[in-house]
Amino acid sequence: MCGGLFARRGLFLTRLVLAGKPSPPRGDVAARARNEVVLVLGQRKLLQRLVPGLMHAFIFWGFLVLFPTIVMAAISAVDKHATIPWLGHQGWFMALVDVFVLLVLAGVVTAVAIRKVVRPQRFAGSHRGEADLILALIAGVVLTLLCWHAARIAAGLNEWPAHESFLSNALSRAFPHGPVLERLFVWAHLCFIFGFLAYLPYSKHLHIATAVANVWLARTRARGKLLALRFDLPDDELRFGAGTVADLTQKEILDAFSCTECGRCQDACPAHATGKILSPKLLIMGIRDQVFAQSTEPIVGNGVPEEMIWDCVTCGACVEACPVSIEHIDHIVDLRRQRVMVDSQFPAEAEPMLRDVERSANPWGKPQTERAAWADELGVRVLEPGDPAPEYLYWVGCAASFDERAKKSAESTAKLLAKAGVDFAILGPREACTGDPARRMGNEYVFQGYAEQNVATLNESGVTKIVASCPHCFNTLANEYGDFGGNYEVLHHTELLAELVDSGRLQPKAGSESITYHDSCYLARHNDVRLEPRKLLNVIGQPVEMKRSGKQTFCCGAGGAHMWMEERGKPISEERAREAVETGAETLAVACPFCTVMLDDGVKGVGSAMRVADVATLLAESIDAG
Amino acid sequence: MKRVPLTGGKMVLTADEQAIETRHLGFTISPHEECAVEEAVRLVEANGGETVVLTLGPAAAEEQLRDSMAIGADRAVLLKTDGVEWDAQATAGAIVDAIRAEEPFDLILFGNESADASNYQVGIRVAYALGLPVVTGLKKISLEGAQVRCECDAGGARDVYVVPMPAVLTVLEGLNLPRYPSVPGRLRAKSKPLAVSEPARPPSQLEKLRLVVPAGQGKQAEILGEGPSAAPRVVEVMQSLGVA
Amino acid sequence: MSTLVFVEPDDDLSLQALAFARTLGDVRAVSLDGAYAPAAWAAAIVSAAQGADTIVAAGSDRGNELLAHVAARLDKPFAANVTRIDGDVVTRIRWGGSLLEEARLHGSPRILTVAPHTHAAEAAGAPIELLVPDASDASPRVLERVEEQAGGVSLRDAKVVVSGGRGVGSAEGFAIIEELAGLLGAAVGCSRVVTSAGWRPHADQVGQTGTKISADLYVACGISGATQHIAGAKGAKKILAINSDREAPIFASADYGVIGDLHEIVPAISAELRKVRG
Repeated sequence: MCGGLFARRGLFLTRLVLAGKPSPPRGDVAARARNEVVLVLGQRKLLQRLVPGLMHAFIFWGFLVLFPTIVMAAISAVDKHATIPWLGHQGWFMALVDVFVLLVLAGVVTAVAIRKVVRPQRFAGSHRGEADLILALIAGVVLTLLCWHAARIAAGLNEWPAHESFLSNALSRAFPHGPVLERLFVWAHLCFIFGFLAYLPYSKHLHIATAVANVWLARTRARGKLLALRFDLPDDELRFGAGTVADLTQKEILDAFSCTECGRCQDACPAHATGKILSPKLLIMGIRDQVFAQSTEPIVGNGVPEEMIWDCVTCGACVEACPVSIEHIDHIVDLRRQRVMVDSQFPAEAEPMLRDVERSANPWGKPQTERAAWADELGVRVLEPGDPAPEYLYWVGCAASFDERAKKSAESTAKLLAKAGVDFAILGPREACTGDPARRMGNEYVFQGYAEQNVATLNESGVTKIVASCPHCFNTLANEYGDFGGNYEVLHHTELLAELVDSGRLQPKAGSESITYHDSCYLARHNDVRLEPRKLLNVIGQPVEMKRSGKQTFCCGAGGAHMWMEERGKPISEERAREAVETGAETLAVACPFCTVMLDDGVKGVGSAMRVADVATLLAESIDAG
Repeated sequence: MKRVPLTGGKMVLTADEQAIETRHLGFTISPHEECAVEEAVRLVEANGGETVVLTLGPAAAEEQLRDSMAIGADRAVLLKTDGVEWDAQATAGAIVDAIRAEEPFDLILFGNESADASNYQVGIRVAYALGLPVVTGLKKISLEGAQVRCECDAGGARDVYVVPMPAVLTVLEGLNLPRYPSVPGRLRAKSKPLAVSEPARPPSQLEKLRLVVPAGQGKQAEILGEGPSAAPRVVEVMQSLGVA
Repeated sequence: MSTLVFVEPDDDLSLQALAFARTLGDVRAVSLDGAYAPAAWAAAIVSAAQGADTIVAAGSDRGNELLAHVAARLDKPFAANVTRIDGDVVTRIRWGGSLLEEARLHGSPRILTVAPHTHAAEAAGAPIELLVPDASDASPRVLERVEEQAGGVSLRDAKVVVSGGRGVGSAEGFAIIEELAGLLGAAVGCSRVVTSAGWRPHADQVGQTGTKISADLYVACGISGATQHIAGAKGAKKILAINSDREAPIFASADYGVIGDLHEIVPAISAELRKVRG
């Protein structure tokens, strides 16, 4: 009967997932298999928090090790004297079972202590009652298992050497020798198991079925790459993002079913940390509830408050933190796409940016004729149509071309490349916005217009290698333009500069300045570039790390088109600036024009005089000083 | 409506001094008529009917016509030129011919003046040629049966006209806030009807000889200081101007 | 050479146009009163202009409208916002003043309006004739004038305007702009980006397609200085620009500048004003 309930619900949920819009085919099998081993079996993301990680690992590994005992109990329920061939007779296995029963119980007790005593913030909004019930059921399962084994020994029915399973053996001494207790406990055990089974697909414990699949399907690399929409389809096949649950992709539905409400994403979210209402956890839970209800209402406004989707800076801390590989950014961008492209409803202050990107090819609406003005006195080659392609195309980006604070990094980079004798050129006015701000805002249509235009410009010019000083440009050029026929070897400027220093073409002087480095989300987290900037800073000065660095970096607040949107609550940039100032370093090094501007504002906002400078600028200064 | 370039901070002319150098510049619908297109779409949404958007311009002006259809105009007419600028009188003449070839319109909307040439007369000339009443500089339009109530700024007040339709109205930016086009709208616009014709350009009566960038664009401000420490100096200047 | 000039009473721009017209030769100044009816008034002007070789008015909203009517009625060319005339070659304004056009004005009479603030005003001198429009003319006329419940200083008439642009960052950010404006008895203005972003109403917009101001001082905070904005601001006698980008185009149109973050500088100016006032 329980099996029937489980199966029926399971079929219902499976049908819901399959009803989703197709997600693209996933290659890279080796990396996916590795993720299964490391993330699922190895519980790596969970173990980043040691105590809760071990707690869960014990329970999870316990579940794996104890699984055969379920089969044994089922067999034994039918035939008192039967068990699994061979394994049922192994004393070492039963000893292992005893050990894991203890570990699971330790896990359950720890979990209860965390939930009831420590009460971490990340559970705010989660269904704690449900969690308590699940913990009780788990405890019930292992306790009845232990008692059953003990009773089996007491009744003399054990197929394995009793003394090897030390715990069951010890407990068996407390049990009477009759057969009744053994039958009682085996059925009790099976009741817990089957009850749990029936309850499972109605609860967040569903994740044990979906997590394995979800980890398999998640991105293995290029986590900053969004999935492209197609606009050249017949009307009834067009998808403009996620309006109702009917628009969600299969992966998005599986994401929603995999959420355990653990709140690690909520803890990691910079918007949440600074008082915005966005919680990636509540967002996914909201979507999940809409899916379960098979709602035909728009998700935004019914499962997910509108403000939430605009608070996001697409930093990916949530995705990085999630132990079951939920990809929250896809959800948020898909919800934004519907609001921007179909409903034309989005924060009004972003409208000028979208119009400017579309009409003037840059988000500030400045004339493209002035895009290369920063390079006027530097003798930088501007690539005209028909010119021979340079070895490297230096993609400057809109920010470094037009923003007075970000221009410095372009000037420094150009000077350094020239000094190292690198054959490079810029596109100047022909370099149009990569479209990143429009795409993160949700206007996939405008983005694709620029993707196609830029790919055409690059391909016609014969460029194969690109160096970009902006991580957003870098991410789009390296990972996203491939969908539009643009396949280039793309380096971030710190990567190329590190190469040049390594090979001796640039020779910085060692310095004693204390420098702390802020990892850009799009560089360090989405694209795994963390070493090269540090290589440079190790040579230039005395680096000191912030606590939230590398993959755990804390956003500057400009991503997700937030450079152009108002921010409610406390500024994310000041939150991060405070952390930088607290290191006591003299200089805050960055590798992104957005981070430069945001953190410069942030540092001033917290009243510090700390200098914020791009790695390229610091490198150039250390070379000039030599 | 008219396709105009987005010029930014400086004016740069072509070598022959006949036009602004528009290579690498973006283009848009001139601001006043962007509001006119939005108003037309709103009126038709509220009252039924059809919006036709028309421009005299180069082939590239199709971009602006499709943008108009993306927000709801039903069809478009392109009076295609070879890129050379037409003067206001000639423009009005071509528009009159195109309108005469159509079914009669209840309202013909224009921007009060184009952002670039700013001749202030095309709408008025069209009205005279068609024998229709014309009201200009409008900030508000509302239909009242077979009439239209129009308001324009007059000092600190609003002047109100009520005119019978059919009528010609010219509008100013501020009439409304043009909507942001939806992507389904843009996709539909790609297949909405666009009629193209190539009127012959008559000799110009206001004959452009050349364009000139006025001197004095190279003015350099006296920098009073940097940051908040400049405040006392600023107040000094304000006092010397008699405003503080 | 005889010129017919349409003037409006007590209007500085009309007196500028009159001064311009006098440089061409004999001048006959006319006006009309009563409910404004552009087509009817234009018909009266056309009648009065029999024998004149030039018809002139100020390049104000009304002047441009009336002479466009006149030109349409006569089917003759019309040059709006002329800064000078040399024989039959006019120099006129484009792009709100950021570009000039030299053009040959064919036909007779020459119909043109005079670009505002390009000529010094002169007193009327000779009496102004009052024309009477045809009472049976059924063309549109002003039915009523609705006074606006505008609180505060009108942008068009303000002696001082404090204006904010993209750099202000948000609607709430305008609080410091309003504060300074309050201390100076000034009107608050903004650039087009600000109205597109929905932070301020279009009535506050200074620019080619917004309000053209004629203040004694225009304070532009966080405004980059696109030509369309300057077109609305250049009527001000003096311009003070506050911007963090020392290469922003506005500094090429401003008389004074302060480099830095307006969020720090504007409150500092307000504080300094309070301080000197005691």
